[in-house]
Amino acid sequence: MEINEPTHVWQLSFDGDWPTSVAFLGNGRKIAAGNRQGQIYVWNLPETPPAEDADGEGKEKTKSETPPDFAPIRRLDGHTNGVTGLIATADGKTLISASLDRTVRLWDVEAKPTSTEEVVLDTKRREIAARRKSKEEKEKIIGAPGVQVEVVKSSHRLEGHGEWVKALGLSADGHRLISGDDACWTVVWDLATRKEICRWHGYDRVWVSSAALSPDGKTAFTAEFAGSRSSFDRPAAQAKLWNADDGTMKLDLLKVWTPKVKDKDRIDSYGYAQTWGKLMKRGLVCAAFSPDGKLLAVGQGGETDTGKVHLIDTKTGEIVRTVSGHRYGACDVKFSADGKYILSSGRDTTVRICQVDDGKEVAALGKARGGQFKDWMHGIAISPDQKWVAAADIAGIVHLWQLSPDSTDEAAG
Amino acid sequence: MQGTCPRHEHVSRRSLLKGTLATASGASVLNWGGLFQSQAIAEAAKRKKKHCILLWLNGGCSQFETFDMKIGRSTGGMFRDISTNLPGARVCELMPAISQRMDKLTVIRSMRTSQIDHPGGIYLMHTGYARAANVRFPEMGAIIAKYCGSPEADLPDFVKISSQGNAGAGFLGPRYQPFSLGRDGNLPPFSTSQLTPEKESRRHSLRDFIEEQFARTHKADPARMHREAYDRARRLQNVRHVFDTDDEWAKYGDKYGNTKFGRRCMIARRLVEEGVSFVEVGQSGYDTHGDNFTGHKSLVPTMDRAWSALLDDLEERGLLQDTLVVWMGEIGRTPRINNRSGRDHYVRSWSTALAGGGVKGGLVYGESDQDGIDVKDNPVTEGDFFGTIYKALGVDPETENYSGVRPVPLAPFGHKVVTDILA
Repeated sequence: MEINEPTHVWQLSFDGDWPTSVAFLGNGRKIAAGNRQGQIYVWNLPETPPAEDADGEGKEKTKSETPPDFAPIRRLDGHTNGVTGLIATADGKTLISASLDRTVRLWDVEAKPTSTEEVVLDTKRREIAARRKSKEEKEKIIGAPGVQVEVVKSSHRLEGHGEWVKALGLSADGHRLISGDDACWTVVWDLATRKEICRWHGYDRVWVSSAALSPDGKTAFTAEFAGSRSSFDRPAAQAKLWNADDGTMKLDLLKVWTPKVKDKDRIDSYGYAQTWGKLMKRGLVCAAFSPDGKLLAVGQGGETDTGKVHLIDTKTGEIVRTVSGHRYGACDVKFSADGKYILSSGRDTTVRICQVDDGKEVAALGKARGGQFKDWMHGIAISPDQKWVAAADIAGIVHLWQLSPDSTDEAAG
Repeated sequence: MQGTCPRHEHVSRRSLLKGTLATASGASVLNWGGLFQSQAIAEAAKRKKKHCILLWLNGGCSQFETFDMKIGRSTGGMFRDISTNLPGARVCELMPAISQRMDKLTVIRSMRTSQIDHPGGIYLMHTGYARAANVRFPEMGAIIAKYCGSPEADLPDFVKISSQGNAGAGFLGPRYQPFSLGRDGNLPPFSTSQLTPEKESRRHSLRDFIEEQFARTHKADPARMHREAYDRARRLQNVRHVFDTDDEWAKYGDKYGNTKFGRRCMIARRLVEEGVSFVEVGQSGYDTHGDNFTGHKSLVPTMDRAWSALLDDLEERGLLQDTLVVWMGEIGRTPRINNRSGRDHYVRSWSTALAGGGVKGGLVYGESDQDGIDVKDNPVTEGDFFGTIYKALGVDPETENYSGVRPVPLAPFGHKVVTDILA
């Protein structure tokens, strides 16, 4: 991954409920994003952004102006409640989504559409454009026709969960999928056959807050967390490595991190929560294995003072380094393909890029926005060619940054 | 409203004499004993042997995540609704157990109250009154203790288990102050004597002697209250076994959900069974300005199971018909979901629920508009709500007590009893 003055290139409108997740489909031009209403849209972006402003008035684009918008081409219909995660296979042909509707769905992104529909996803942009205009002009801008999108239905539905599915991961070899739900069930799937390989139930009455598979799909990580059940009993959070072939536990990371705590004291109690809370904050809500499988990155989420990202040695379970930090909590974490960088998004409206070796932050994409509490930059994705980063912004926007403008110029040339 | 005074609310000769004696002894001067009208009503209410359990959702439970869902609207949130055993009524998926007990509930979806912050809201929804500089209003528990409690009982009349009321007995005085149990429902440490029974008995005798000597020359109420407080503490020792709930919890823990809130609910049932007139059970954590949905997902299922078990348990023991179960917090939550995935404080339209003695079951009263922003039909104020609760418990909400020389009705002036929900 080459990072050289990242540029904010696209700002795609996705009005409605919060965009939560993004995924690149094969290259840096095709992107999917899902939101809390359960909608998933697909954009196919041109090689270079249009020179003109999005409203077509022909103004010269300056650095201070908002990056251009672009309309989606497809809508993927099927989920009936919020999308919590999106992952695409390396070839970009299959998109996998997890949802609060208790399902994991697979989508053939190139499938023949079942219909077309007109949609309006840029209501906020229209409202801004209509400000200080005459009544007639306002009506014209607000009531302008939307865009036609092709509607595609999901190709398969994986029904192994009875609760919200908030954790989703794919092995780098693309063979295995992992999903975790709020009934604390984790399932490892064979992606080709769509059959369960194994499943396990975690600590009682907590939720699987994040899950990831090692590049070869043999090792799984899960984090478990729940809010307090009542005033003074807090179910213990968990962080474990598992054998993804049979669902047996390999390593209890919390025991590694807190060696002084005796087993008898690892109970649902406020006291023990003070201990694990320092490491897990309000749950480890995101996780990713490094490309060589030697490191695991986990992000502290929930609303907390600063959500850090721990880098963990997958052999010993020790925390090697703690990097980055998102005020009020992290949301997502990804490794670059060369394993040199760790990218994280969070509740401070930023995507932060840090060096794995020394934890030094080399770039922060986005700008804090909001009042005392900032808007979230939710899910993030890195394009397979490692040149683009996308992030789902809760303000109804999908952002795309080009990490190194020079390399795009070469590609465009 | 008092024009058609029912027979049991007339002042009997006995209560007249008692009231007169109480007044003569100076008890009503500070109004810690009440005036005879109040005494008579208390006697009438006591004869009905009504009880009340308040399930207090501290911080303000969201109406959108419980009884007033707005599916498909921008204010709706992330949960889905489920059908109930009450045709046409739907509730949040987080309450599967309560959904099958809606026939026992009266849900009010049109609460409109006046205090939007926590201290003000907690005071308001415990007393029915907004805080005032010159009057210390009593909590509902103290009022129920006065009008439905038994002065002769060894157990306290007003018990709180991990709850948050901030008004206490107010001008009703220390006789009706709540007795608070610990978070696990255990007796507080101070209630356990460190002395041997023999030494304890000798100490009591000595204290009685000194108190008696003192009382001969000091007729003031505080001295009497002091004696009574000690007497009640001593009587509590006779019933310590009531608070030892380990065996019962081993038997019923699963039913109540094996949570601390569940255990508190079971203890509330046990206390009611033993004659306590008012028990308040608290569950904290509902102030979900951030992460409202995960917050409610961690709290509501616990509450759902415990509340359902409580209703079943009361019914199975024949207690539900005489026990009013009140479900509420101090505020509701905003229709708008903020950028913390949270909901803030809201009192313009929110929900409460009642079940059991004195109210109809299987009723949804009032309605909010399509986004839950305002009450559409049948607004219920805090005064109306408290008036209705008192009425359901057989206590006339217009009964007056005195704060100094100022008459103060149990429910605020201008309240309207919601007769549609009374059984």
